[in-house]
Amino acid sequence: MDMQYANFPYLSTLLIVCIAGLFTILFLPGREQNKIKWVGVVFSGITMVISIFLFIAYDKNIGGLQFVERVLWVPSLGIYYFNGADGFNLPMLLLTGIVFFTGVLSMWELDTRVKEFFALYFLMVTGVFGLFMSLDLFFIFVWYDVSLFPMYLLIAVWGSTRKEYGAMKLTLYLLAGSALILPAILYIVNVSGLKTFDLLALMAPGTLTPLQQKFAFIFIYIGFGILAGVWPFHTWSPVGHVAAPTSVSMVHAGVLMKIGAFGVLRVGIFLCPEGWRYFAPLMAVLATVGIVYGAFVGLTQKDLKYVIGYSSVSHMGIVGLGLSTLTVEGLNGAVYQMFAHGIMTALFFSSVGYIYDKTHTKMIPELGGLSRIIPVAAFYFILAALTSIGVPGLASFWGELVVFIACFKVYPVLGVLSICGLVVTALFMLRVVQKTCYGPPKEHHTHIRDISFAIGVPRMILSVVIIFFGLFPSFMFDMIETASSSFFKGLP
Amino acid sequence: MSVNAAVLAAIAPLMAFFVTLILTRKRPWLSAGISVGAVSISTVCAVFLLFRHWEMTEPVLYTSTWMVSGAISIPLGIMLDPLSLLMLVIVGGICLLVQIYSIGYMEGDPGFSRYFTFMSLFAWAMITMTISPTMLQLYVFWELVGLSSYLLIGFWYEKFSAGQAGKKAFVMTRLGDVAFLIGILLVLVHAGNLNIVEINSLGPSETMSPLIITLAVLLIFGGIIGKSAQFPLLTWLPDAMEGPTPVSALLHSATMVAAGVFLFARLFPFFSLTPTAMALCLAIGTVSMLLASTMAMVSRDIKQVWAYSTISQLGYMIMGLAAGGYVAGVFHLTTHAVFKALLFLCSGVFIHALHTNDMFDIAKSSGRRMKIPVICLIIAGAALAGLPPFSGFFSKELILAKLAALDNPIWLIFALAGVFLTAYYTFRLIFIILFPKPGPSDADSTSIAADEAERHDVKPHPIRQTMATPLIILAAITLVLGFFEDPVERFLSATVTESLSASGMHHGWPAFMALGLSVAGVLLALIEFGLPKSRQIGFAERMPFVYNLFSKRWYIDHVYRYFIDYVIDRGVAKICARNDKKVIDKSIDTFCDGIVESSRFLSFLHAGMIQYRLIVVFATLFFLSLYLLLG
Repeated sequence: MDMQYANFPYLSTLLIVCIAGLFTILFLPGREQNKIKWVGVVFSGITMVISIFLFIAYDKNIGGLQFVERVLWVPSLGIYYFNGADGFNLPMLLLTGIVFFTGVLSMWELDTRVKEFFALYFLMVTGVFGLFMSLDLFFIFVWYDVSLFPMYLLIAVWGSTRKEYGAMKLTLYLLAGSALILPAILYIVNVSGLKTFDLLALMAPGTLTPLQQKFAFIFIYIGFGILAGVWPFHTWSPVGHVAAPTSVSMVHAGVLMKIGAFGVLRVGIFLCPEGWRYFAPLMAVLATVGIVYGAFVGLTQKDLKYVIGYSSVSHMGIVGLGLSTLTVEGLNGAVYQMFAHGIMTALFFSSVGYIYDKTHTKMIPELGGLSRIIPVAAFYFILAALTSIGVPGLASFWGELVVFIACFKVYPVLGVLSICGLVVTALFMLRVVQKTCYGPPKEHHTHIRDISFAIGVPRMILSVVIIFFGLFPSFMFDMIETASSSFFKGLP
Repeated sequence: MSVNAAVLAAIAPLMAFFVTLILTRKRPWLSAGISVGAVSISTVCAVFLLFRHWEMTEPVLYTSTWMVSGAISIPLGIMLDPLSLLMLVIVGGICLLVQIYSIGYMEGDPGFSRYFTFMSLFAWAMITMTISPTMLQLYVFWELVGLSSYLLIGFWYEKFSAGQAGKKAFVMTRLGDVAFLIGILLVLVHAGNLNIVEINSLGPSETMSPLIITLAVLLIFGGIIGKSAQFPLLTWLPDAMEGPTPVSALLHSATMVAAGVFLFARLFPFFSLTPTAMALCLAIGTVSMLLASTMAMVSRDIKQVWAYSTISQLGYMIMGLAAGGYVAGVFHLTTHAVFKALLFLCSGVFIHALHTNDMFDIAKSSGRRMKIPVICLIIAGAALAGLPPFSGFFSKELILAKLAALDNPIWLIFALAGVFLTAYYTFRLIFIILFPKPGPSDADSTSIAADEAERHDVKPHPIRQTMATPLIILAAITLVLGFFEDPVERFLSATVTESLSASGMHHGWPAFMALGLSVAGVLLALIEFGLPKSRQIGFAERMPFVYNLFSKRWYIDHVYRYFIDYVIDRGVAKICARNDKKVIDKSIDTFCDGIVESSRFLSFLHAGMIQYRLIVVFATLFFLSLYLLLG
């Protein structure tokens, strides 16, 4: 058996904790809702602590892959159980840990089918964690599907606003994506002739000819790109966001969309750098269209969650733009933006979730004066809005700035266009803030109680993360830099 | 030592921001104390630094890295040179006085604590921006200044118009900032460095073509247009008076709008590389100055008049700088900061006591009985109008001298026209308040009687000490600041090369001409508004067309409204939204429906009908034979 353990298998522990949480919830009787929620909090809390620990324990001076676990699983096919952490996936693991934990807390007031909800929620997050840490193509594909299927039930059962339609649309779209990814993966494994699914082995230069790389890349790009909300394959995402319950929206917009971008990076760009170079201009154009277009569509929306959905399309465009610049800075900015955007949308949906719970509406014209009625809850919402506008001192700003700088050097015209998109984003976000939080309060809402300290905890955590990385971006950038600069050195 | 003091000056308000935001939300007085304490520390540090480096020849530089990503490195540092030191003192001092004043002005407001939180954020952003050694750091804090203005302008968010004004300010300045960012990136790509000292050296002229320099300068100037409310992005500033009056005082004097002019001065040597761009800057400054002056002539709202006058004075500064008068522009920025803050704070006293912004109402409620604000108002007004010996006279003369030195006399003529208009609208306001009359607006006797009755009720309560002290201090500075012209000039030009700083002749004929025009303006105002028999209707108000044009702000806002409504909202945004629904989504749905329908068709074949089976058998045989025959 080919086995490698650097030290204690932290990454597997992360998965085991998730699965343990899942089974504990399954064995608890469904009527003991509080117990189930506490189990959820404890287990998701442990994963968050582990993910923070990994982020801090990673030795930036050495760089490369750390916390490696590698076991040959199916020798005849060359499938490995291969996990490792580097500067690209550690931010994503951290993001998942934070959003997972805060998501559980945000669903504290859930009272229908609590057991099933949390069980599916844990299953989904297990898949997400697995995908981010895995370095084996077979497992990446499996985890991808594990994270998708619970989503269908979570939205269709616990959702709102055309939930069956939204769930079905989302699932079909993402399955179409996986139908593109699977042949591409099999194609890469076959033509390489290495008889292995090991990503690092396949990465070796010269494994694939440039033509093969181009061919495989376009499949992977579109397949994962659907999940990343790349224009014009984005329409599932606002519909899905709107239909999903609060914490599912948080994971969905906060983490799942990042899986898409991460997949493009980890599978597409890592394995097919030639294809990446060839299609980079196309990626840049689609990303720019997404940025500007998403902002303009956001301008017309009346539903709070639709607004956030379209702003996500716009912001994920910035990630795409960063990936398309073919530079270290671009990759850094893109990964940073993935993290920042994840935290930001989690905060957004978490706050909107509270507002929706209490006012029973998320239509903008029916809201107003929330800053007077529920000042603390409104504060979180405004903070998220300001982050999405790209105000300095809040996390997103740095991702956007670095991507724009990188992009301006490579594609000046597209860079200018996407920077102009910022004005539109500012316009619609401030409009939403003004219409919902400012102005005189609506009379039938005046009885609503403000968010209590306990219920506010998840928003507090997210806000602190946003401000922390807004003031000290170098913690994250140094981390990503270790991966991106060595990746570029390894390129032929 | 210097670096430590500068760091302290910047950090203190930040700490105050976090403490008041998180810990003292429920204890308003503590918040106010912390905030005022923090900004006092900053002010003390600033004054200390100014005296310590009064004789400086080399800027003090200190940088550490904030963030590195690939080839992009964003330093966080400090640069102390005469300009930043002077600005630091202005910012610190005005922030401190305004905050002290606010304690009285905002007392009893439910958002008292929040107010001081925002004020601290504002002070932090502005101070750190002032001492930035690189353009990227400057941009970061420039944006934060915009954010704090947004928060403060929309402070009374329950008022619809306040939220609206905040949003307008943010989006309009954002528009300029986008240009600014692109300009910075252009410099970064071509010069490879955003260090202010290096940009200001002759470096860029070697690596960048003149065209690129001009383009970059114009783009950066776009940011200045937005922040300093110059034409065409000038309409957010008059609306910004929706915020509490002390906020306007801060916004209009030392912070937000001053940031734009400060940036111009900061990059003055770089801007001077391109005469083309400088000419355009000069034109924009002139247009803004004249437009805003005309708007101020017909406004009834006391704060609005000062808002327009801010735009026009900023126009003066830009004109001065663009004409090559580095010292002139910066000195006018300094004097203007003091007397404009004073003007707003005085108006704030009236508004606070009499609950009206309308100057005729203030006059009718005997605003003139309030001695301190009226005297201060006259002092500041005289400074604004450019009457000696008040500070405005000296700084405006410097700018006029620079303009007189230009080849084209047209700029001087416009500037002198501006001098006349400024004196006119300033003293129009002062005379209206000093000499109340039954105005033209309420000629019928009933309303006068009602006002009479009301007047006895409203007795201006005595002005609070916290509000009076800042007024007196500012008035004193306004009185003496003008005489510090020479030392300031020497100080400022210490680190700038000779050719740029050499100011033209002092107080030559343009000075006397300007003085004459100021006096003429005051006299005209006196005739129209001050004399016992005057009807208090200005010459512009007698011409309906002109009056409409001026009071509707030259219809600039209408153009924007139209643009937002018809081009953005009902144009591009609607097209995009429709496209999303009708084209992208529809095609996917149709595709899925197509699959469902075709499956349904196929399922018919399995309905157990013998006819369909036969068809399938025949079709299969047909295609099979075709395949065999051809293949």
